[in-house]
Amino acid sequence: MTDLRLQHLTPDETELWAQGLLPAARELHLASCGECRVVGDRERKLFRELAQLPRFAPEFGFVERIMARVRIPTPSGSHLGPDPDS
Amino acid sequence: MVAWAKQGHEAAFRELVRRYERPLFSLLYRMVRDRALAEDLAQETFIKVLNGIGSYNPQFKFSSWIFKIANNAAIDHLRKRDLDTLSLDGSPHATTPEEMHATALQLGDRGESPLAELEARELGGAIEQAIARLRPEYRACILLRHVEGFSYEEIAATLELPLGTVKTYIHRARNELRGYLGDRRE
Ligand SMILES: [Zn+2]
Repeated sequence: MTDLRLQHLTPDETELWAQGLLPAARELHLASCGECRVVGDRERKLFRELAQLPRFAPEFGFVERIMARVRIPTPSGSHLGPDPDS
Repeated sequence: MVAWAKQGHEAAFRELVRRYERPLFSLLYRMVRDRALAEDLAQETFIKVLNGIGSYNPQFKFSSWIFKIANNAAIDHLRKRDLDTLSLDGSPHATTPEEMHATALQLGDRGESPLAELEARELGGAIEQAIARLRPEYRACILLRHVEGFSYEEIAATLELPLGTVKTYIHRARNELRGYLGDRRE
Protein backbone atom coordinates (compact mmCIF):
# COMPACT_ATOMS: atom_id res chain seq x y z
CA MET A 1 0.00 0.00 0.00
CA THR A 2 2.70 2.49 1.02
CA ASP A 3 4.64 1.55 -2.13
CA LEU A 4 1.66 2.46 -4.26
CA ARG A 5 1.53 5.91 -2.70
CA LEU A 6 5.10 6.60 -3.78
CA GLN A 7 4.93 5.26 -7.33
CA HIS A 8 4.25 7.68 -10.18
CA LEU A 9 1.20 6.90 -12.28
CA THR A 10 1.76 4.67 -15.30
CA PRO A 11 0.38 5.88 -18.67
CA ASP A 12 -2.51 3.43 -18.20
CA GLU A 13 -3.28 4.88 -14.78
CA THR A 14 -3.09 8.43 -16.12
CA GLU A 15 -5.68 7.39 -18.69
CA LEU A 16 -7.89 5.93 -15.97
CA TRP A 17 -7.58 9.15 -14.01
CA ALA A 18 -8.47 11.25 -17.04
CA GLN A 19 -11.61 9.14 -17.35
CA GLY A 20 -12.37 9.46 -13.63
CA LEU A 21 -11.73 5.74 -13.09
CA LEU A 22 -8.55 5.72 -11.01
CA PRO A 23 -8.78 3.61 -7.83
CA ALA A 24 -8.84 5.70 -4.64
CA ALA A 25 -5.51 4.29 -3.45
CA ARG A 26 -3.78 5.80 -6.46
CA GLU A 27 -5.61 9.10 -6.09
CA LEU A 28 -3.63 9.48 -2.86
CA HIS A 29 -0.40 9.53 -4.84
CA LEU A 30 -1.80 12.11 -7.20
CA ALA A 31 -2.79 14.36 -4.31
CA SER A 32 0.83 14.52 -3.17
CA CYS A 33 2.67 14.50 -6.53
CA GLY A 34 2.79 17.70 -8.57
CA GLU A 35 4.56 15.95 -11.44
CA CYS A 36 1.78 13.39 -11.95
CA ARG A 37 -0.86 16.10 -11.65
CA VAL A 38 0.71 18.13 -14.46
CA VAL A 39 0.86 15.06 -16.71
CA GLY A 40 -2.66 14.09 -15.68
CA ASP A 41 -4.10 17.55 -16.33
CA ARG A 42 -2.63 17.64 -19.82
CA GLU A 43 -3.99 14.17 -20.52
CA ARG A 44 -7.41 15.11 -19.21
CA LYS A 45 -7.52 18.22 -21.37
CA LEU A 46 -6.67 16.16 -24.46
CA PHE A 47 -9.29 13.56 -23.55
CA ARG A 48 -11.92 16.26 -23.27
CA GLU A 49 -11.07 17.64 -26.70
CA LEU A 50 -11.09 14.16 -28.24
CA ALA A 51 -14.39 13.32 -26.56
CA GLN A 52 -15.99 16.36 -28.17
CA LEU A 53 -15.09 15.32 -31.71
CA PRO A 54 -18.37 15.15 -33.62
CA ARG A 55 -19.50 12.42 -35.95
CA PHE A 56 -20.16 13.58 -39.49
CA ALA A 57 -22.93 12.51 -41.82
CA PRO A 58 -22.50 11.57 -45.48
CA GLU A 59 -24.54 13.36 -48.14
CA PHE A 60 -28.30 12.91 -48.16
CA GLY A 61 -29.43 9.72 -49.90
CA PHE A 62 -26.43 7.64 -48.86
CA VAL A 63 -28.51 4.60 -47.88
CA GLU A 64 -30.33 4.59 -51.22
CA ARG A 65 -27.10 4.83 -53.18
CA ILE A 66 -25.85 1.75 -51.37
CA MET A 67 -29.07 -0.23 -51.60
CA ALA A 68 -29.08 0.34 -55.36
CA ARG A 69 -25.79 -1.53 -55.58
CA VAL A 70 -26.37 -4.35 -53.12
CA ARG A 71 -27.61 -7.85 -53.91
CA ILE A 72 -30.25 -8.82 -51.40
CA PRO A 73 -30.29 -12.57 -50.98
CA THR A 74 -33.63 -14.23 -50.31
CA PRO A 75 -34.08 -17.46 -48.39
CA SER A 76 -34.83 -19.20 -51.69
CA GLY A 77 -31.49 -18.09 -53.06
CA SER A 78 -32.79 -15.75 -55.76
CA HIS A 79 -31.78 -12.08 -55.78
CA LEU A 80 -33.93 -8.99 -55.58
CA GLY A 81 -32.86 -5.83 -57.31
CA PRO A 82 -33.24 -2.40 -55.84
CA ASP A 83 -36.67 -1.34 -54.65
CA PRO A 84 -38.63 -0.39 -57.83
CA ASP A 85 -40.15 2.57 -55.98
CA SER A 86 -36.80 4.18 -55.21
CA MET B 1 -29.87 -7.57 -36.72
CA VAL B 2 -26.92 -9.17 -38.51
CA ALA B 3 -28.58 -12.58 -38.37
CA TRP B 4 -31.71 -11.06 -39.82
CA ALA B 5 -29.70 -9.35 -42.58
CA LYS B 6 -27.98 -12.66 -43.30
CA GLN B 7 -31.38 -14.10 -44.14
CA GLY B 8 -31.71 -11.37 -46.71
CA HIS B 9 -34.13 -8.90 -45.24
CA GLU B 10 -33.83 -5.62 -47.06
CA ALA B 11 -35.02 -3.67 -44.01
CA ALA B 12 -32.21 -5.18 -41.98
CA PHE B 13 -29.67 -4.12 -44.61
CA ARG B 14 -30.99 -0.58 -44.49
CA GLU B 15 -30.92 -0.56 -40.72
CA LEU B 16 -27.28 -1.72 -40.69
CA VAL B 17 -26.33 1.07 -43.07
CA ARG B 18 -28.21 3.63 -40.99
CA ARG B 19 -26.60 2.40 -37.80
CA TYR B 20 -23.04 2.53 -39.13
CA GLU B 21 -23.09 5.27 -41.78
CA ARG B 22 -22.01 8.10 -39.47
CA PRO B 23 -19.37 6.19 -37.49
CA LEU B 24 -17.86 4.72 -40.66
CA PHE B 25 -18.04 7.90 -42.69
CA SER B 26 -16.51 9.92 -39.83
CA LEU B 27 -13.56 7.57 -39.53
CA LEU B 28 -12.95 7.57 -43.27
CA TYR B 29 -13.39 11.32 -43.57
CA ARG B 30 -10.80 11.95 -40.87
CA MET B 31 -8.48 9.41 -42.44
CA VAL B 32 -8.56 10.86 -45.97
CA ARG B 33 -9.81 14.42 -45.25
CA ASP B 34 -11.87 14.54 -48.43
CA ARG B 35 -15.67 14.29 -48.16
CA ALA B 36 -16.39 12.86 -51.61
CA LEU B 37 -13.63 10.31 -51.35
CA ALA B 38 -14.65 9.31 -47.82
CA GLU B 39 -18.17 8.74 -49.09
CA ASP B 40 -16.90 6.58 -51.96
CA LEU B 41 -14.83 4.52 -49.54
CA ALA B 42 -17.77 4.22 -47.13
CA GLN B 43 -20.00 3.03 -49.99
CA GLU B 44 -17.43 0.47 -51.08
CA THR B 45 -17.20 -0.76 -47.50
CA PHE B 46 -20.94 -1.19 -47.09
CA ILE B 47 -21.32 -2.91 -50.44
CA LYS B 48 -18.53 -5.31 -49.60
CA VAL B 49 -19.99 -5.98 -46.15
CA LEU B 50 -23.60 -6.41 -47.29
CA ASN B 51 -22.76 -8.51 -50.32
CA GLY B 52 -20.47 -10.63 -48.16
CA ILE B 53 -22.71 -10.87 -45.13
CA GLY B 54 -23.27 -14.57 -45.78
CA SER B 55 -19.63 -15.20 -44.96
CA TYR B 56 -19.64 -13.08 -41.79
CA ASN B 57 -18.32 -15.01 -38.82
CA PRO B 58 -20.37 -14.11 -35.71
CA GLN B 59 -17.42 -14.97 -33.46
CA PHE B 60 -15.92 -11.70 -34.69
CA LYS B 61 -17.71 -8.56 -33.51
CA PHE B 62 -19.67 -7.04 -36.39
CA SER B 63 -18.40 -3.53 -35.62
CA SER B 64 -14.82 -4.79 -35.70
CA TRP B 65 -15.44 -6.48 -39.05
CA ILE B 66 -16.98 -3.45 -40.70
CA PHE B 67 -14.41 -1.01 -39.31
CA LYS B 68 -11.62 -3.34 -40.40
CA ILE B 69 -12.83 -3.25 -43.99
CA ALA B 70 -13.23 0.54 -43.87
CA ASN B 71 -9.81 1.11 -42.35
CA ASN B 72 -8.14 -1.17 -44.90
CA ALA B 73 -9.82 0.82 -47.67
CA ALA B 74 -8.51 4.08 -46.20
CA ILE B 75 -4.98 2.78 -45.67
CA ASP B 76 -4.87 1.31 -49.21
CA HIS B 77 -5.99 4.63 -50.60
CA LEU B 78 -3.45 6.64 -48.60
CA ARG B 79 -0.63 4.33 -49.69
CA LYS B 80 -1.63 4.61 -53.33
CA ARG B 81 -1.93 8.37 -53.06
CA ASP B 82 1.51 8.64 -51.48
CA LEU B 83 2.97 6.59 -54.34
CA ASP B 84 1.19 8.77 -56.92
CA THR B 85 2.39 11.91 -55.18
CA LEU B 86 5.95 10.68 -55.20
CA SER B 87 5.86 9.62 -58.83
CA LEU B 88 4.03 12.75 -59.97
CA ASP B 89 6.15 15.38 -58.34
CA GLY B 90 9.20 13.18 -57.87
CA SER B 91 10.01 15.05 -54.68
CA PRO B 92 12.41 13.00 -52.60
CA HIS B 93 12.04 15.54 -49.80
CA ALA B 94 8.43 14.50 -49.12
CA THR B 95 9.40 11.88 -46.60
CA THR B 96 6.85 12.28 -43.84
CA PRO B 97 3.15 11.55 -44.18
CA GLU B 98 2.29 15.21 -43.55
CA GLU B 99 4.65 16.43 -46.26
CA MET B 100 3.16 13.91 -48.66
CA HIS B 101 -0.29 14.94 -47.55
CA ALA B 102 0.51 18.62 -48.14
CA THR B 103 1.76 17.84 -51.63
CA ALA B 104 -1.25 15.66 -52.35
CA LEU B 105 -3.57 18.44 -51.26
CA GLN B 106 -1.92 20.86 -53.67
CA LEU B 107 -2.21 18.34 -56.49
CA GLY B 108 -5.85 17.70 -55.82
CA ASP B 109 -6.67 21.36 -55.22
CA ARG B 110 -10.40 21.80 -55.53
CA GLY B 111 -10.32 25.54 -55.08
CA GLU B 112 -12.91 27.48 -53.11
CA SER B 113 -15.87 25.19 -53.84
CA PRO B 114 -18.66 24.92 -51.28
CA LEU B 115 -17.41 21.41 -50.53
CA ALA B 116 -13.90 22.69 -49.81
CA GLU B 117 -15.38 25.33 -47.51
CA LEU B 118 -17.41 22.69 -45.69
CA GLU B 119 -14.29 20.54 -45.26
CA ALA B 120 -12.33 23.49 -43.94
CA ARG B 121 -15.10 24.22 -41.46
CA GLU B 122 -15.46 20.62 -40.33
CA LEU B 123 -11.80 19.65 -40.17
CA GLY B 124 -10.13 23.02 -39.67
CA GLY B 125 -10.01 23.08 -35.86
CA ALA B 126 -6.76 22.66 -33.95
CA ILE B 127 -7.59 19.17 -32.70
CA GLU B 128 -8.64 17.98 -36.18
CA GLN B 129 -5.45 19.34 -37.70
CA ALA B 130 -3.37 17.72 -34.99
CA ILE B 131 -5.06 14.37 -35.70
CA ALA B 132 -4.35 14.85 -39.41
CA ARG B 133 -0.64 15.11 -38.64
CA LEU B 134 -0.55 11.65 -37.04
CA ARG B 135 0.58 8.76 -39.18
CA PRO B 136 -2.44 6.82 -40.46
CA GLU B 137 -1.98 3.85 -38.12
CA TYR B 138 -1.92 6.12 -35.07
CA ARG B 139 -4.83 8.14 -36.41
CA ALA B 140 -7.00 5.03 -36.80
CA CYS B 141 -6.21 3.90 -33.25
CA ILE B 142 -7.00 7.30 -31.74
CA LEU B 143 -10.25 7.64 -33.66
CA LEU B 144 -11.45 4.15 -32.77
CA ARG B 145 -10.56 4.72 -29.13
CA HIS B 146 -11.85 8.24 -28.60
CA VAL B 147 -14.59 8.76 -31.17
CA GLU B 148 -15.98 5.22 -31.30
CA GLY B 149 -15.14 4.26 -27.72
CA PHE B 150 -13.55 0.93 -28.70
CA SER B 151 -11.58 -0.93 -26.02
CA TYR B 152 -7.93 -1.67 -26.67
CA GLU B 153 -8.87 -5.30 -27.31
CA GLU B 154 -11.48 -4.29 -29.88
CA ILE B 155 -8.99 -2.03 -31.63
CA ALA B 156 -6.46 -4.86 -31.73
CA ALA B 157 -9.07 -7.18 -33.29
CA THR B 158 -10.20 -4.51 -35.75
CA LEU B 159 -6.76 -3.47 -36.94
CA GLU B 160 -5.30 -6.98 -36.58
CA LEU B 161 -2.49 -5.71 -34.38
CA PRO B 162 -1.08 -7.15 -31.16
CA LEU B 163 -2.59 -5.56 -28.05
CA GLY B 164 0.78 -4.19 -26.94
CA THR B 165 1.25 -2.47 -30.30
CA VAL B 166 -2.15 -0.81 -30.02
CA LYS B 167 -1.29 0.53 -26.56
CA THR B 168 2.07 1.82 -27.77
CA TYR B 169 0.47 3.49 -30.81
CA ILE B 170 -2.16 5.19 -28.68
CA HIS B 171 0.31 6.44 -26.07
CA ARG B 172 2.64 7.75 -28.78
CA ALA B 173 -0.25 9.32 -30.66
CA ARG B 174 -1.43 11.12 -27.53
CA ASN B 175 2.09 12.40 -26.86
CA GLU B 176 2.26 13.71 -30.41
CA LEU B 177 -1.18 15.30 -30.14
CA ARG B 178 -0.25 17.05 -26.91
CA GLY B 179 2.91 18.29 -28.62
CA TYR B 180 1.06 19.61 -31.69
CA LEU B 181 -1.63 21.26 -29.58
CA GLY B 182 0.98 22.73 -27.24
CA ASP B 183 2.78 24.27 -30.25
CA ARG B 184 -0.39 26.07 -31.22
CA ARG B 185 -1.24 27.31 -27.76
CA GLU B 186 2.18 28.71 -26.98
ZN1 LIG C 1 3.84 11.00 -9.31
